[in-house]
Amino acid sequence: MLRCTMTSLLALFAPPGFLDDTLLKFFSAETVNYVVWPFIQIGAVVTAVAAWAAYATYLERKISAFMQARLGPMRVGPWGLLQPIADAIKLLTKEDIKPDKADPYIFFFAPFISVAAAFVVFAVIPFGPDWGVITDLNIGLLFVLSVSSVGVLALILAGWSSNSKYSLLGGLRSSAQMVSYEVSMGMALVGALMFARTLSLSGIVSAQGLDSVFPGYIIYQPLGFIVFLISGIAENNRAPFDLPEAESELVAGFHTEYSGMRWSLFFMAEYAAMIVVSAVATAVFLGGWYFPFAWRLQADYPNLFVLISLTVFIAKMSLLLYVYFWLRWTFPRYRYDQLMDLGWKWMTPAALLNIALTAIAIFTVQALDGWRGINTVESINRGVNLTATGKAIMIAFGIAGLFIAAAMLSLINWRSQDFNLKKHRRQLRLVDVPQGAPANAPAVGATTTAVPAMSEG
Amino acid sequence: MVLSGWEAVFFWVFAIAALVAALLTIMARNAVHSALFLISTLVSVAALFIMLGAEFIAGVQILVYVGGVMVLFLFVIMLVNVSAEERGNEQLFNRPAQVGVAAVTLTLLAFGLIYAVRQGYEGLQRRDEAALAVAAEQRAAQVRALPLSATRTSKISRDTQQVGASLYRFGSLPFEIASVLLLVAIVGSVMLARTAKQEKAADDLDPEQLADIARLEPESIE
Repeated sequence: MLRCTMTSLLALFAPPGFLDDTLLKFFSAETVNYVVWPFIQIGAVVTAVAAWAAYATYLERKISAFMQARLGPMRVGPWGLLQPIADAIKLLTKEDIKPDKADPYIFFFAPFISVAAAFVVFAVIPFGPDWGVITDLNIGLLFVLSVSSVGVLALILAGWSSNSKYSLLGGLRSSAQMVSYEVSMGMALVGALMFARTLSLSGIVSAQGLDSVFPGYIIYQPLGFIVFLISGIAENNRAPFDLPEAESELVAGFHTEYSGMRWSLFFMAEYAAMIVVSAVATAVFLGGWYFPFAWRLQADYPNLFVLISLTVFIAKMSLLLYVYFWLRWTFPRYRYDQLMDLGWKWMTPAALLNIALTAIAIFTVQALDGWRGINTVESINRGVNLTATGKAIMIAFGIAGLFIAAAMLSLINWRSQDFNLKKHRRQLRLVDVPQGAPANAPAVGATTTAVPAMSEG
Repeated sequence: MVLSGWEAVFFWVFAIAALVAALLTIMARNAVHSALFLISTLVSVAALFIMLGAEFIAGVQILVYVGGVMVLFLFVIMLVNVSAEERGNEQLFNRPAQVGVAAVTLTLLAFGLIYAVRQGYEGLQRRDEAALAVAAEQRAAQVRALPLSATRTSKISRDTQQVGASLYRFGSLPFEIASVLLLVAIVGSVMLARTAKQEKAADDLDPEQLADIARLEPESIE
């Protein structure tokens, strides 16, 4: 029986161009390629992501409950599995309240900007090979970064248009925070791009497949991965970086005044943005849909191969999503100055350092190639493809990079908290003054010592 | 290049959107609305960049201008709340000085535009069909040599590599000068914006220095 179902399943997925042939009976080839297929894929992805975002709230509640030795939602359906649906119905039927003095247009549009910015990005995410990807742009990664940076606007506009002080504070915080962390997030990816030599996300995944690195560029780029993950969490306003909606200080931050459907749109956008960051981290650092030996299926069972690749991608992505929930219930919230410190004094220098170290590593490995019979590079055209020796050297560089970065960053930040400009200045000024004597400024024109004091200030 | 088909439709949609949004930027009463219309203009211009085949520039335009500069604009507008209600009744168009400047600029622009259109039309009249055909053939060959994308319906162009290579090979000195210039501008603006009064308020000056300043330029502290 099981064997029978298995064969029928395989038979269902076996004919390579079955769906294509059916579609070609009704439409021209161009329409199928540029309109029908993309629409099917977009519909599937939007539905899946929306459902996923809904169930991410369920997972979040369950995981938080388990971490605190509770049960979480249990009433609606078995183990509370229908809870997200009940929530959605409740939110849809709730009244949509608009504050009296809110800016009406911006107040209505902000949630849509937020959702659109989060969902448009999925167009370039390579969920799998072949039909597992909607579109493949030559600027894929840049597209992801730029469109998700538009999402910040929605938060600021929502905060401003609500005409409430809590919302405004949340919006201001989110703009400062996201602009700061966008820098390190973008630059953390540059190291991996040096290996892939393309911005196209599908190209990055296939470069990792060609180099057969498993689980992906994370083994060459541990520093880049860490910086990207931390910046990504901050970019998504998730705990421990959830300053813009800190419920203990700002009620609910930028969406304090929102209710019903509009509020749930913000919520959906937040979870979709989390999925985007996990998907980008998966594609760039964890090898995307690449899984060792799975390519053997490609020739005989192309559709099964795509399905397996999809599963691999989703599994890797879910692992990263779990990290989000895990961190949220493990760390307390950062203070605002600590957040800025971490962004500008730790993450940005670390990302810059990662670029420099990666450049040095790639240069060294290329220079070593052919020196005293050492063979390190196999090909470099479609992404850096290294031999076993080259891989070993590169991994060593990656791990050494972690230590170098730790040393450099602690050097930069050594006692940076105790640094007091005023005290420092006063000490400099008091060098010639005997201890205990007041540092009186000389009268104007009496001596020349007043002049350097002025220019110092 | 003569526009045709969907390309023409998209060009006109984005071009008109850019112009209308730019007009609304200066006509909006509310500073935040102005900023939003400016964002619309920038996005439309980015779409025009994509139609020119400059995808990298378009992406950077959105990333830097919409995601960075405009967010900071909004940040500043919200912090320095120019009480919009009080200034809302100000006349925008009826001041002689403004109208005069606008009229002069408009005349210059109109002359420039007419000149450009004439030049372009003359160029179209005496274009060399043979050379154009050769150039088109070369471009087509370049496009054929490009790798296929993962969906197998389009090509992955080398736009980004070209921008990067030419920027760092031929334009590295201007690039560095521009970045240093921006740094100088940041430091300068901090120095200009931070007055002695603020430093006094932040208790960031030595009392002796404050006394000096008070004696030399008393109006700066008050």
